[in-house]
Amino acid sequence: MKTLIVIREADYGWLTPLFPGVHPLVMPICNKPFIEYLIDFSILAGSTAVRIVSDGPLNDVERYCENGSRWGIDISYASILVDDDLDAVMDKNARYCSEGRMMVTSGFIFISYEKKHELKPFVAMAPAGTLLRGSTGSLLLTGTPENVGEVREPAPCSLVELDSIGSYYRLSTEILNERPSPYVLPGYSNEPDCHIGRNVVTSKGAEIIKPVIIGNNVQIMKGAVVGPFAVIGSNVIVDRESTVSNSMLLDNTYIGENLDIVGRIAYGNILIDPASGVSIAMEDRHLLSGMKRDGIFGLGLFRYLFHAAVSLLFILLLFIPYLLLAPLLKIQGKWKNRTMTFQGVQQGKNVIVVRPSIAGEGVLSGLARSLSLDRFAMLFSALSGRVAVIGSFPVEAGRHQEAATSVLMPGYRPAVFSYAEAEDWPVNAEDSSIVERYYAVHGSPVQDMVLTVKAFLNRIHAQDQP
Amino acid sequence: MTVNEKKCKGITIVSLNGSLDAASAPGVLNSSSALTDTQSIVIDLSGVDFLDSSGLGCLVGIARKKREQGGDVRLACLNEKLRKVFDITRASRLFDIYDDAEYAAGTAAKK
Repeated sequence: MKTLIVIREADYGWLTPLFPGVHPLVMPICNKPFIEYLIDFSILAGSTAVRIVSDGPLNDVERYCENGSRWGIDISYASILVDDDLDAVMDKNARYCSEGRMMVTSGFIFISYEKKHELKPFVAMAPAGTLLRGSTGSLLLTGTPENVGEVREPAPCSLVELDSIGSYYRLSTEILNERPSPYVLPGYSNEPDCHIGRNVVTSKGAEIIKPVIIGNNVQIMKGAVVGPFAVIGSNVIVDRESTVSNSMLLDNTYIGENLDIVGRIAYGNILIDPASGVSIAMEDRHLLSGMKRDGIFGLGLFRYLFHAAVSLLFILLLFIPYLLLAPLLKIQGKWKNRTMTFQGVQQGKNVIVVRPSIAGEGVLSGLARSLSLDRFAMLFSALSGRVAVIGSFPVEAGRHQEAATSVLMPGYRPAVFSYAEAEDWPVNAEDSSIVERYYAVHGSPVQDMVLTVKAFLNRIHAQDQP
Repeated sequence: MTVNEKKCKGITIVSLNGSLDAASAPGVLNSSSALTDTQSIVIDLSGVDFLDSSGLGCLVGIARKKREQGGDVRLACLNEKLRKVFDITRASRLFDIYDDAEYAAGTAAKK
C-alpha cells in the first residue's frame, strides 16, 4: 500500500502569521514534527511509500524527511495547483497511484490512533471510500481491499482537525496527557509522562513537574519551575525564577528571569494566547526572544563584504556622473528625492532608503536612468549592510497586502539591483520572483558580482530600446 | 540538448534531454514546431539533468505563448533536481505537473 498526503496552503492559512517561516508539516506537536505522526500512521497502516503533495513549498519538509530512509520507506514529493481537486491530484500522480491500494489524507489533519489496535489488517480489509471525514480534511482509501474479511467497527483511529491555534494547543496537551501515550515521543523517558532530550542542564533549585516534555540543549536555571503540562522545545533557556506551566515553548526560545508563562505558546519572541489566538511580538530581548539571529541582511559576513566592495566600486564609478547630472535634473524639476520604507529581511524590520524618481524623456533624464543614478543613494545603504547590492526588488512596507508574505518567502533580501534585472526574460512580477528565488538559493558571492554588473548593463540597454 | 517528439492520444509529447540553460534555451525553441504552435503539448523533462533560471524562463515563455493562443503546456516526469528548482522558485504554481507523460497527454486530449 502507498500513502498520498495532500496538504494545501489554504488548509494552514491560519498558522502562517503565527509561526512565520515554519512549514506546518514540520511544526512540532510535543516536540515531534507533525509530519512524523502522519508517517508513523502510514507505516502502521501498512504503507511502504509516502508521497507528500502540496500547492506550496515543500523544501523544509523535504530537508527534514529526505527520502524516507530513516523510517525505512520511500518518501517522494510533488506539486499541484491551488485549484486542483482530489481527482486532479490523483491524475497528476497517476504513476504513483496506479499500483494497488492507496491511502489518501487530505487537509491539515491529525490522525489519532490506538497503538494496541492493529491498524494494518483494518486498513487492508476496509472497503474503498472515505474512512474519516471532517470539515477541513479527510482520510480515504482507494483500490480493492487486499484481504477480504470482517471489518471491525468503529475504525481504530479518529480525525483531529487542526484549524486554529486552540486546536493545535489542545492536541499537544492531550498527547502529553495520554497515559500510556500511543505515540513514540522524542527524548529519554525513565518514567511515564516525562521525556527529556539530550544535553538538558537543570540548575540547583530548578524544579520539573510532570507531565513534561523537554527537547535537546535546554537550560533550566536556578529557581525555575517547568511543568506541569509543559512542552519545552530544543535550544531553549528558562532563566532564573521563571515558571512555565500549561505552556509550549517552541525551539530557540529564551524565557527571561522572573517570568510566569502560564497557558501560552512561545515561539522566539512571539507569545500566543491559544484560547483567543492573539499573539504579541516582544521587543525586549531580556523578556522573551528568539535565539536565532540572522546575519547582515540574511547573509554571511564574507558575502556581506563582497556586496560592500561591489557597492563601493559602483559608488566610485557613478560618483562623477551623479555630481554632474543630479543637480541639473533637480534644477529642471525632473529629479525628485523620495524617502521610501521597505520591508527588511526580518518581518517587522523595515529599511528606510532614499530612492529618487527621474521624470521626463530628455537626454539627461535618459542618461541618468541608464546609469542607474536613481539607485545611487541606495548603494550607501548596501555599503552599510542595510540592503544587499543585488537580491530582491524591495517591497514597500505596509503598501501591498502581499508584503508580509513576501518577506517570509525564502531568500527575500531588499537590494539595490534585482536578480530579475540581470535576466532578459522576466515579463511580470511572477517571473521576477522566480528569478529572485532561483538565485537566492543558487547564488554565490562571485555570481552576485557578475549579476550586479549584468543588471547594471541591462538597465543601460533597456534605455536604448525604443 | 536533444529534443524528441512523439504523439500520444493526439497530443505531442516533447522530450527534452540534457541541460536546459542559458546556452541551450534559445535553441530549444527553434528545434520543434510543437513548442511554438498553438496546440497543447506535454513536455517530458525526465531527461533534463540541469535547469537554470534561463531554462525556467524558456518553459514559462513557451507556456505563456501557448496559453495566449488557447493552448496549454503540461510538464511531466520531473526528476528530484528539477522538482526542487520548481519548488524553490514556485514555478510549480504556473504548470500542471504530472508524474506520467502519457497520462498527462491523455488528460490534455480530454480538454
